[in-house]
Amino acid sequence: MIDTAPDLERLRGGAPPRNHDARTIAALTSNPGCARRGVLDAAGVDKDAVARELGFPAPFGQSQFAITRGNAFEAQVKADGGAELLALLRDHLGLDVPEVAYDDLEVVAGDEGRELRHSRTRRLIARALETGAGTLFDHPLLRLEIAGSPAYLEPDVIAFQLAGRLHVIEIKSFAVVDGQAEPEQVAAAARQAAVYVLALRRLVAELGHDPERVSHEVILVCPENFSNRPTATPIDVRPQLAVLGRQLARLTRVDELLAELPDDLTFEPGATLAASVRTVKARYAPECISGCEMALFCRDEARACGETGALGRSVRDDLGGIDTIGTALALADGSLAPSDDLAETAEQLRAASRLRAEALRGGV
Amino acid sequence: MSALSSLARLEAAAAGVAQPLATVRHCHVSDRPLVLVPLKLAGEAAAPLAVMVGGEPDDPTTLIVPQPRNRDLRFAFASALAKIVLNHIEAGRGAVEELPPGKDGEERIRYGDAPQLLVPNLGGVAFLRLLGRSTRFRSTEGPYAVDAAVPVFGRWLTWFADRHDHPGSSLMGAMTQLLRLHWATGQSSLEDGNLAALLGWIDPPDGLDGPAAAARAEDPVVSPPAGPATDPTFDNEVLAPAIAAYDRSGPGSAAEERLRAALTSQLAPTWDLMWRAVGLLRALPEGASVRGRWERDRDAFTYYHQTFGEAYPQPRRDPPVRAARRLHDLERAQDAYDAQRAFDDPLVMAEHRLAGQAFGGVVTDCDPTRLDETGKRPKLRPHLRVSTADPVRLDVGTTVCSAARPALKGRIVELGDGGVLLELTGGMGRKLTPEPGAVPRVGDRVCFTSLTDGSFGAAKFPDRENTPWTHGGPPEEYAPTEDDADEDWS
Amino acid sequence: MSRAPGVPTPDELETRITELRAAVRRAMATGDRGTARELRAELRAAERAWDDAVLGDDAHERGGRRASPPVRERAHQALTLLGAPAAPKLVSSVYAAFFPGEIPGARLSSLRRDEERSFRAAPYTRPYYLCAALTADALAPARGLLAVSTWPLEQRIVGPLSLRTDFLTAAIRLAEHTAGLGTPSPETRRLLRRFAYAIPGAMTGTAGTVDPAALAEGARAELDVHRETDRRHRESAARRARDRLHDAERLFGRRPRPVRGIAAKGKRATKGKTDR
Repeated sequence: MIDTAPDLERLRGGAPPRNHDARTIAALTSNPGCARRGVLDAAGVDKDAVARELGFPAPFGQSQFAITRGNAFEAQVKADGGAELLALLRDHLGLDVPEVAYDDLEVVAGDEGRELRHSRTRRLIARALETGAGTLFDHPLLRLEIAGSPAYLEPDVIAFQLAGRLHVIEIKSFAVVDGQAEPEQVAAAARQAAVYVLALRRLVAELGHDPERVSHEVILVCPENFSNRPTATPIDVRPQLAVLGRQLARLTRVDELLAELPDDLTFEPGATLAASVRTVKARYAPECISGCEMALFCRDEARACGETGALGRSVRDDLGGIDTIGTALALADGSLAPSDDLAETAEQLRAASRLRAEALRGGV
Repeated sequence: MSALSSLARLEAAAAGVAQPLATVRHCHVSDRPLVLVPLKLAGEAAAPLAVMVGGEPDDPTTLIVPQPRNRDLRFAFASALAKIVLNHIEAGRGAVEELPPGKDGEERIRYGDAPQLLVPNLGGVAFLRLLGRSTRFRSTEGPYAVDAAVPVFGRWLTWFADRHDHPGSSLMGAMTQLLRLHWATGQSSLEDGNLAALLGWIDPPDGLDGPAAAARAEDPVVSPPAGPATDPTFDNEVLAPAIAAYDRSGPGSAAEERLRAALTSQLAPTWDLMWRAVGLLRALPEGASVRGRWERDRDAFTYYHQTFGEAYPQPRRDPPVRAARRLHDLERAQDAYDAQRAFDDPLVMAEHRLAGQAFGGVVTDCDPTRLDETGKRPKLRPHLRVSTADPVRLDVGTTVCSAARPALKGRIVELGDGGVLLELTGGMGRKLTPEPGAVPRVGDRVCFTSLTDGSFGAAKFPDRENTPWTHGGPPEEYAPTEDDADEDWS
Repeated sequence: MSRAPGVPTPDELETRITELRAAVRRAMATGDRGTARELRAELRAAERAWDDAVLGDDAHERGGRRASPPVRERAHQALTLLGAPAAPKLVSSVYAAFFPGEIPGARLSSLRRDEERSFRAAPYTRPYYLCAALTADALAPARGLLAVSTWPLEQRIVGPLSLRTDFLTAAIRLAEHTAGLGTPSPETRRLLRRFAYAIPGAMTGTAGTVDPAALAEGARAELDVHRETDRRHRESAARRARDRLHDAERLFGRRPRPVRGIAAKGKRATKGKTDR
């Protein structure tokens, strides 16, 4: 493999790489076909800053009410040695009464240094795997290799050891009402939790144990109904793990993406930034808006080019994969003769166009 | 989505204005709908923040919860909103219609009208559903007593939200959904979720085109979101300080008025959009089967209203047999609704023509008095040849009916180059010569389809006592418990 | 009342407030925090001016504070009742449940630092200090826990099991205290319910009510399971602390070792606080 680090540093324009968190890593899996995103993420470019510089700031504000609620619920569940959490685990997973050990990995000897914290996480997880000591490990500091460089991950989760197996516990403040939660929120939580499971598995493997000792079942802790009382729901994250694994493997092949880019390309702020960004092809879809900082810039570009994909993936699929609105309309009204591979699509479009016109004229 | 509606999106994008997806209106719009624009506090499941509600565009009532974390204030809000909604329900039923007695001779009635609730989007429906869930089990006595109207309101909200799931029901409408049924915009369906942007494409304000109006609608400072979620910068920069000021000054203070003004500023633009949208929908001619579907809605409303006093609040979860029956009902309703829309609207039928399940064209040949004499008695079986350019995907032998007059039935005899030969089998009268005008003539434009107007046999489901063990066996009768009543409402 | 020239009318202020709000939100949306900060200051000033013009005295806090003991004294009372190190949140719930008045949470968070400053300036001049609990392995201050300096060192050590044993100890002491009080207040009932919910066998009464005797019994039963192991951890850690730490460290924990500037900088960048 080629060492891509110097290239990536140049792409960042000398700025330090942006740290990944579970959200950004999980987001990598949502649009795997986008080269622009692939390159920016692999290089650790601060996409938020780039988007702002380009005049398309990402609309990702968070309400302080939501933040406060989230922090308060998490603090409550973890309070007093995880008293509420232990009650839940005893009820749902048959945790034995003696299993109450709580290790706080957030601070080591009053120090929050990452190396120190990570090594303490390693030490305690190793001990847990060998002797079964320890039950709840709060704020483990994990590490995951992203495109060839290590990213520290600090999950707001607890690693939970039961009978020699580790589980990830994720605390979220969205409500589970009568056993149901909003599917998008559960899906997002599952994607994030999968990142932690993967990172924990890598750690377990490094320690010389079977990575399967980290369960693919994560425990989601949410408020129940309209109360503050927590409830636990197990979620199988195997599908998310599979996607994530593929996606990370793909990221390590960023050298291939780089090979096709100009040697002097950089995403440094400045007059040429927009042109630089455009050098790398995007694959915009409306779903990007909820996950990628660059989305509004890419949408503007896609609209300006009249891309059918800007109207939605299903529209593009309905049109047999025709890329631009102009081409599709020209095929529909017959002003453009289709190439052989588009003959069938064109016929469909002409029929659609004729039927629409007929119905709108008031014919039967 | 289909190639047809996707094409409409392209046309909209090219034209800079929305394009029709329907030639008639497929939903009922009440003369006096109750419009509700609810807002909730971010981060909470169903903590109401404010609502603008009313049955007339120039007479909205604004209710707010000045401190959304205060339980008493929330229930005061629920009680005030309950009164408005329950009033609307009682006022909305109109005169009683006597119906012919049912099969077993029991008396049947139907209210002459039913209440209709309109909210901006699906988020609004989901919020009212949760508000219903969080209020219907409340006790009106004991330590956590609430106003008597609150649990009644909760049951009605639950019922409305449940009817919303029923395809073709117009009792509770989400405006973005209703508009999207009739227009295609030049943006994605995700972006159509923004009511202001959607309306911007359909009916751009003066001097703007669709894209410009939609872009304006995406700026939350100019165009507040239609809820129930508020814009985060509004929360952080306006709402939070205003709530803090209220906390310091208390009820009846100017701080409360300021908070009310801030929330009203977030609600009023959506309120206006809702009524503009109501106007746009009203301007469309009503589809032929809308009346019949509204009659089903009135039946459902009559039944629930009549039995309200005897029934318990809806359970937290449906028992298995009920859930299966409900699913079956919804599927049937969906099929019937899809078919009815196609019969009502040539533009919807065009989708089925494009899919090959219907065909249209000109009658080129016709033998209106043809008799089939192979049986004991001769039968009237006219032949009709229709030339069509449609991509027909029906087999010989398929039964089809006329889109214009579904009673006219036929069977496909021959499929060939640009034409279909039909043998008409019914809907022409009882004699051996067809009723005048029943059989199309040469040169007439016709459309036939394999769709049927959705009459299916009712499926058999076990009684609740016979719930199979695979589904947990017979469920216990659900009765609300004290726990339900003192469940926190965070 | 005539208005001095140049003083804006409430209407003008209202307009100004609306404009400033929009401007602040725009600045935040584009990530321009500096501008947002300046605009926000202007906005608050305009709001204050509006308050003064329209609300008059109503805007300012009404009524004087009722005389109540200083925060450190109140915290000391609550902790003494608990008998174990506790997080500020628990300290203030206990105070609200058993004592008149309350302890504002924000005041507690800075308490330990103030106490340490006072101790270092003039050691042992106060009869007690509100100090730290010490982690068993590193003898560092345990995150977010308050303790009382006059407790035996063992009582202030936090090993892996100690958060649980402290929780159970507190449950027993609060239950016993409640039993001697007569009818408990709603705050007290709520607090006991929180404990009972998290302790096996402690929730025996009908929904929503807690029998203090059952709570104490449940807590004692579980405490018996953990006590010995926990005691061993505490004693060995306390021995180490006595051997190695000087007085201030023994109360407020070992200071973090000096870290390289780089490692400390941006150390919370990956913190997942924005995850939800």
